[in-house]
Amino acid sequence: MEDNVKTVEILGSGCARCEETYRVVRHVVEEAGLACEVVKVESYQRMAQLGVMATPAVAIDGGVVLAGRVPKAEEIRQLLGLR
Amino acid sequence: MVTGLAALVLWVACYLSLPALSRWITADVLGLRRGTALASAVEFFVFEAPKVLLLLALVVFAVGVVRTFFTPERTRRVLAGTREPVGTVLAALLGVVTPFCSCSAVPLFIGFVTSGVPLGVTFSFLVAAPMVNEVALVLLLGLFGWKVAAVYMGTGLAIAMVSGWVIGRLGMERHVEEWVYDVTGTPAGADASPTDWPGRVRTGVATVGEIVGKVWPYVLAGIAVGAGIHGWVPTNFMASLMGRGAWWAVPLAVLIGIPMYSNAAGIIPIVEALLEKGAALGTVLAFMMAVIGLSLPETVILRKVLRPRLIATFIGVVGAGILVVGYVFNFLF
Repeated sequence: MEDNVKTVEILGSGCARCEETYRVVRHVVEEAGLACEVVKVESYQRMAQLGVMATPAVAIDGGVVLAGRVPKAEEIRQLLGLR
Repeated sequence: MVTGLAALVLWVACYLSLPALSRWITADVLGLRRGTALASAVEFFVFEAPKVLLLLALVVFAVGVVRTFFTPERTRRVLAGTREPVGTVLAALLGVVTPFCSCSAVPLFIGFVTSGVPLGVTFSFLVAAPMVNEVALVLLLGLFGWKVAAVYMGTGLAIAMVSGWVIGRLGMERHVEEWVYDVTGTPAGADASPTDWPGRVRTGVATVGEIVGKVWPYVLAGIAVGAGIHGWVPTNFMASLMGRGAWWAVPLAVLIGIPMYSNAAGIIPIVEALLEKGAALGTVLAFMMAVIGLSLPETVILRKVLRPRLIATFIGVVGAGILVVGYVFNFLF
């Protein structure tokens, strides 16, 4: 179990695909009982700062791991080092 | 591979059996008498709905695969290294194949502008991306043949290039919100796009699920409207309203189209029905481009980074381009 992850950011302007991504990540985090924070970020400044050009995007501790599509739960588990 | 081929064969078989199937459903299953408005509308619907959905699935799959080769990050790197006017032309072409959704317009705009892509080149991309829509392109190809499809793609690209070039010449950099230029970011480059073929095919399948899963109600609604026009509106009804003789039809079509928002797949059946009832090609094309190329939601989103002057210029220039295309086509065809 990866307990080192502090924050998972879901970046997007609030469109349906971003909401969906947020749900998927929350689900995975809650299911695994991780202590990390899951935040929905709608700030364009933050997106630019992270170099995100396609939404929805997911960043783990400030590093973008996925952009431009809704991830599957399995992918998020892998990215969080749960599998 | 085998599954893929089987799927393709099944697809072709379904597609080819549609005309007979739609006649059978209308006449034998529903028992509607041929020649009535209702029968004509129902036959249109049961023929067009599966046909459009089948075409859509195939095209979206192909596009999903093609797009694994083009990511926004890669496109930005290409464009940041070119100058106008080459960049303007390239941007429009890349706008067609790079994955884009209007909700990503702002982060993409910032990403481009801050990495040194000129404003005009950025706009060329932003105009082409929604306007030359691959779904619209292939639906036009399937429903009206290659000429109309080529005309749509050619003029769409031309509008994007000219608009980008004009906006570049106007020197409107100061009408971009200031904070955009103050952003310091590092290009992440995390596209996570697959680079192997099984991965690309999986992406294609996932794209079909995502896009077709989202647009099918619009497509069916569009086809239903189309079927209504097909069945009940008299054949030359549109000729007087949207025909070639009416000079005001093109600007009116553009004005009505701009605030409307529909996805390309939903608008095509309406386009088909309008054309069939005598509307002129240029007028209908202008209407379609205004609907899918310029939309109220997208301009509202872009307001976050663009000052009103630049938004107005953007709509004005692109709208004017669509207007010219409409008139030219009514004149030529």
